[in-house]
Amino acid sequence: MADVGRIVLMRLGLGLLTLLVISVLIFGAVELLPGDLAQAVLGQGATQETLDALRTELGLDRSAPIRYLDWLAGAMIGDFGVSLLNQQPVAEVIGQRFLNTLFLATYAAVIAVPVAIALGIAVALLRNTIFDRVANVVTLTSISSPEFFLGYVLILYFSVITGWFPSIATLNENLTFLERLETTFLPALTMVLVVVAHMMRMTRAAIINLLASPYIEMARLKGTPAWRVITRHALPNAWAPIINVVALNLAYLITGVVLVEVVFVYPGIGQLLVDAVTKRDFPVVQACCLIFAATFILLNLAADVGSILTNPRLRHPK
Amino acid sequence: MDYFVIGYYAMLIGGSCLAAHYKQREVFLILFSLTLASFVMGIIGGTGALWAVTIAAGLLALAGGTAYSFRELLIIISGPLTARELRTAPLTAAFGMFVIFTYAVLGIFAPIIAPYGEAEVVSQSFAPADENMLLGADQLGRDMFSRLVYGARNTVGLALLATAIAFFLGATLGMIAAVKQGWFDQLMGRLIDVVMSIPSLIFALLLLSIFGANMFILVIIIGIIYAPRVYRLTRAVAGNVVVMDYIEAAKLRGEGTWYLIRREILPNSTAPLIAEFGLEFCFVFLLVAGLSFLGLGIQPPTADWGSMVRENATLISFGEITPLIPAAAIALLTVAVNMVVDWMLFRSSGLKE
Repeated sequence: MADVGRIVLMRLGLGLLTLLVISVLIFGAVELLPGDLAQAVLGQGATQETLDALRTELGLDRSAPIRYLDWLAGAMIGDFGVSLLNQQPVAEVIGQRFLNTLFLATYAAVIAVPVAIALGIAVALLRNTIFDRVANVVTLTSISSPEFFLGYVLILYFSVITGWFPSIATLNENLTFLERLETTFLPALTMVLVVVAHMMRMTRAAIINLLASPYIEMARLKGTPAWRVITRHALPNAWAPIINVVALNLAYLITGVVLVEVVFVYPGIGQLLVDAVTKRDFPVVQACCLIFAATFILLNLAADVGSILTNPRLRHPK
Repeated sequence: MDYFVIGYYAMLIGGSCLAAHYKQREVFLILFSLTLASFVMGIIGGTGALWAVTIAAGLLALAGGTAYSFRELLIIISGPLTARELRTAPLTAAFGMFVIFTYAVLGIFAPIIAPYGEAEVVSQSFAPADENMLLGADQLGRDMFSRLVYGARNTVGLALLATAIAFFLGATLGMIAAVKQGWFDQLMGRLIDVVMSIPSLIFALLLLSIFGANMFILVIIIGIIYAPRVYRLTRAVAGNVVVMDYIEAAKLRGEGTWYLIRREILPNSTAPLIAEFGLEFCFVFLLVAGLSFLGLGIQPPTADWGSMVRENATLISFGEITPLIPAAAIALLTVAVNMVVDWMLFRSSGLKE
């Protein structure tokens, strides 16, 4: 087991390193601004005095590496500076919204993961039948549609025509858990549709890949019933690819959430990011990007570690 | 129980019996499962649901017929070699090619096809459809149909340009890395890892917030964001070619890097690269549409499908489907490209499951 620990630690270290490089990128990107931050905020017409005042306030009089270290140290304890727009601390602006986004993503994941894996296995077993081909076209369509298309179609049918669910997912303090689930059902469903399609296709590919291996053929030849071939021989080896598929798709949810939140006016971090980009509120943009990138890397890392832990061949590298 | 319902079930059950009799197992399975599903849908949704199924089946048949005829047309007008390839194309791929062809015609001849200019205000805002305006007017009173046609030119054109940039960058660097190897290869590999570990939409938003939304910058940014994917594939494909004996021979002849790339590696890796171009186009197209939808892509008054959806979204709450048409146009093109790519991948790799 010492081996596994070392491999996992190495992956973690690599992930941290990537995150560090990305933080440099995110910080450095703002440095690329024509002029500097103060100029960008105040515009062309600003006088020298106001420019200087803002520069001192933002700490722009120090050199870039020092400001980077300062920013990074702050980011580690959740202090991302103050928003340029309303002088609120960025952490305060993000806090509740981040939890909202996590809630939505978890909601979607809880529905999507079991459905997608079950359907993926079913389609893999029925491969090359008409059902498989229909599923192929349907999932392809779902993947190819922009999230906002799916979102508006759902609004049209479930909200405008039938009136079953609200079209705008506004949250407030005194919603019970069930009401919350109902209000956020349509945005969650939109993400479920996209993610299930992705996950189904990947699960199908992984299982088919597995069913082609010689030991499965052997099991069949010795007369094992079909369901037993699946549960005893295929599934234990299928966990690694499936865990991979799940983690990768959860990472995909992270980007999908931005468009979905805008469609449903959901108070999450994705919408905040889009607002901050249009209003050029750089500290908020940096913080949101860092959070998104960190989540993305974390999930990819989870996929890596998961597949190492479930695959003995990777656990004991030669 | 009206005549339509009786006719509907008679057709389905009769069809299933015929299929069963002539041992058409697949057709039978579809028809009979549709019959069973119709019982459930009929009970829940009434005649309306059955009409919906009929219309969907009709549309599907229409699409199938179009695809079949289009494939025949292509086979007739192309040379014998291409014709043989085309005969192997499944109906889905033929349909994809038909859709791509239609979009290309719309995009190229947009000024001739569109009745009005893309920024021309011809009516009141949200005016309903009449004999002059096929789809009604948008939020400023511009003709929706004309804007849709111009959108084919602007949105698809921009996505194509960005894909071309990504492809040129990624493929060139990938091949150079494969030939040179050593530190250049290592450095590029690490750099690509970092860029790919940022979600593309987030990266695009970050860069756009800094450089501002402007068509020229947008194309470059998207090109840079998607180049790493192309780089990875090219590096892998070219990596397999580089170890061949004929490359060794060419190197011994004293040929330079550029010659190796152009005359030896490129011809031997076109098939996967073309398929990748299709896939890449889908990603870029969806990203452009998403950014435009967020108001950060193609700027008004230029007609563009993503922003058209956003601007007219209020109509949806009145049960209108016009705002969904541009979104559907995006989805249709992406599906079409994917279908063609599926067929090409299948053909080039002999991928048989």
